[in-house]
Amino acid sequence: MTAMEKVAWTELVICVVTMVVVSAMVPWLGHGAAGGFGLLGLIVGGSLFLRSRGKGVVVDERDRAIEMQSLRTGVVTAWMTLFVALIAATMWSAHIQAPGVSTQFLNWLIWVQFVICYAVKGLVAVVLYRRQNAA
Amino acid sequence: MPRKKEPSLRNCIRELRAASAGMTQQDLADEVGVTRQTIVALEGGNYTPSLTLALRVAKVFGRPTEDIFELDESP
Repeated sequence: MTAMEKVAWTELVICVVTMVVVSAMVPWLGHGAAGGFGLLGLIVGGSLFLRSRGKGVVVDERDRAIEMQSLRTGVVTAWMTLFVALIAATMWSAHIQAPGVSTQFLNWLIWVQFVICYAVKGLVAVVLYRRQNAA
Repeated sequence: MPRKKEPSLRNCIRELRAASAGMTQQDLADEVGVTRQTIVALEGGNYTPSLTLALRVAKVFGRPTEDIFELDESP
């Protein structure tokens, strides 16, 4: 497993764990459960895998290509779900004749987009590595 | 309208490495500046290398690039 593959697994696992933890805390903490998204900060720890060891190559052109493709997919997916969610929220607010969309809803929306972006990025990278490593 | 499949590259890196006495995947990876997993993906035909990497591989084996890499356009 290359260092970048470990980074992809780290991102994916942290995103899944974060979503499970936040979902589990919602019944008790309500909107305060959004604090659980702080776990996403652990993604930075993935960079520990990128320390150079000896003279061996840590990241090469294949890793960079997979990183770009997975990042592009993650960002596009997050943007698309953000657009759809905002359109739905605006239409719903108009339907129930509410004066606006609550900031708490927007707070949740932004955090969920963040999780979607990194989860999709990690998942796409893991799938691409698996596919290419299959002999 | 069905999308046309991207052509891939066939290569004979595994055979050339076997012919070069004792050259391991790690040796070749170190020579061309990639990870061993990239050589595994290359030999398995699962990764299309950049032109730079293809030229580096050709240089290691002392062969023209077109002797090592061949366009696979089969459907």
